[in-house]
Amino acid sequence: MTSSKTIVLRSSDGATFEVDEAVALHSLMIKHRIETGGADSTTIDVPEVTGNTLSKVIEYCKKHVEAPNSDDLKSFDTDFVKVDQAVLCHLAKASYYMNIKGLLDLSSKTIADMFKGKTVEQIRETFHIKNDFTPEEEEELRKENSWNLFV
Amino acid sequence: MFACRTLLKQIRKKKRRKPHKSTSKTPKQNPNSRTQDSHEFSLKSQALGVQPLGNLYLASSHHNSRTTGLGTIQTLTDELILDILGLLEATHLGVLSTVSKSLYVFCNHEPIWKNLVLDSSPHGFLFKGSWKSTYVAKRYPNYYSKVGSLGLKVQDFYSDYLFQSWLCANLEMKDEWLVRDNIIRRKGISVDEFVRDFEGLNKPVLLEGCLDNWGAMKKWGRDYLVEVCGDVRFSVGPTQMTMNDYFVYADQAQEERPLYLFDPRFANKVTKLGQDYEVPVYFNEDLFSVLGDERPDYRWIIIGPAGSGSSFHIDPNSTSAWNAVVKGSKKWVLFPPDVVPPGVYPSADGAEVACPVSINEWFMNFYEATKTWKKRPVECVCKAGEVIFVPNGWWHLVINLEDSIAITQNFVSRRNLLNVLDFLKKPNASTLVSGTRDRVNLHDKFKKAIEASFPGTIDELAKEAEKKKAELEKLSFWDSVKDSNSGGFKFSF
Repeated sequence: MTSSKTIVLRSSDGATFEVDEAVALHSLMIKHRIETGGADSTTIDVPEVTGNTLSKVIEYCKKHVEAPNSDDLKSFDTDFVKVDQAVLCHLAKASYYMNIKGLLDLSSKTIADMFKGKTVEQIRETFHIKNDFTPEEEEELRKENSWNLFV
Repeated sequence: MFACRTLLKQIRKKKRRKPHKSTSKTPKQNPNSRTQDSHEFSLKSQALGVQPLGNLYLASSHHNSRTTGLGTIQTLTDELILDILGLLEATHLGVLSTVSKSLYVFCNHEPIWKNLVLDSSPHGFLFKGSWKSTYVAKRYPNYYSKVGSLGLKVQDFYSDYLFQSWLCANLEMKDEWLVRDNIIRRKGISVDEFVRDFEGLNKPVLLEGCLDNWGAMKKWGRDYLVEVCGDVRFSVGPTQMTMNDYFVYADQAQEERPLYLFDPRFANKVTKLGQDYEVPVYFNEDLFSVLGDERPDYRWIIIGPAGSGSSFHIDPNSTSAWNAVVKGSKKWVLFPPDVVPPGVYPSADGAEVACPVSINEWFMNFYEATKTWKKRPVECVCKAGEVIFVPNGWWHLVINLEDSIAITQNFVSRRNLLNVLDFLKKPNASTLVSGTRDRVNLHDKFKKAIEASFPGTIDELAKEAEKKKAELEKLSFWDSVKDSNSGGFKFSF
């Protein structure tokens, strides 16, 4: 059952995106809205996501719906998350809200990987985090982590 | 090999938490806790000092260490951060916990360490007061003795999600949640009376005096079970552990959803346990027994501490059930099949039931609503020596009010045989049917076996059901004829 029906998605800042219904359904949240929406389900508001992020999310959905078996899907995904941290965080939040499992897994794993293999100082630098422990507290932390070769 | 868990699976396990408004509940009395002023909650001995967001507005300094402590990832929600941390190994979490106070709080969130323990312990674990300590002790036994309990307390960390998590883990059942007890109780009734007044009408009932001759009532307790079961392992969540190790955990557990021991093969594993009880006479008709060893799981021993239990669900395969409390006591809340409990969102095919995270959260957020509903739930506290009958299709929630041991069985009798066959015939039955190795063919196998052992029964029951249905339809037709509002046929004089 193929349809060339299109859906309009509207972001928090009023930007609208016309997408094939099949692409929109990649988001389970949208799927649920359409199924329970009744008559006027041709325009769906996505108030938790800005236009910039929504545009990227749609790009992801398009690729995964239209070419799910393509050989370059993996490299598409890898390149897709080569973005700055703010965008990455927005993608994670949007995919959580819009219930897009693949994108959620991808963005979350990317963030998780950024924590791995780094020293404490490197993590602070990467994420612009200030050290708010006192020297006494740091001593306590060292004791707590005596089992951990990486601390 | 560390397995990368997918997030949405974890999210579905946790489910979305609704913000909790009132904080008028009293936390569990903990011998380690001190009396508090509003800005410094001393939680349990693993005190972290997390406060709800509302307190931030009352604080003299409006600094939330969450903001500075997370840097560029502060825009992520707490749930997302916890899910991401759930992808890391223990060493990464340890390093991260030393980055900032905020990350210290997140990285010490017990459910993360609980998953690490359970994922790496198929044969059980020895609980050491907290999930983190348990993991470290198991993985790094040489270092464990040098690790102190979490000493750091953070005073300016505000988060609704983490606070609610602590709250749910530490709340005791409020008295007002236990007061309503409107189930019908019977003692010493005949099987015919039970079938006529309860099973046949699909009504729950609490039966007293049926367990008087159970060996279990005299013998079962911690010492007996540990001695009789020895090194045999029983199902506890995703792992298998000895009775002794389970009790070590149960004594110390203080969390939102304590693990409970729930084993469908307890009588196969330790024959003596099966000999210590017998099925109450009312439930002797057990039609799945025609399948012999191929029958779905049908009987469980359930052991759990206060706070453990099951949030709203309907029992599998359209069976009915009985639950007998040997030790302790359980609070039950039941809704009939046509009334979905507040806060529960079943999917259209019934395959998925979304409930709030924990039983405590349901009581905190949804129990009040039931007081104003026309169709009130059936409620009771079932004590040691009592048995509750849960008719097929009824929603139910159970929580142990104290350390409890119980036996439960699911069964099919002639009263619900047709229901069960219908259920097994459904196209999605293979996903919904539980507790058996051969889901796809269960309907056909069962039907055949019934025909073999009780020839003609299914047809007889089907005829009776048709008759009843026809009578009901006839009734409603004549009702509509008499009803002047219906616009149906009426005589005029």
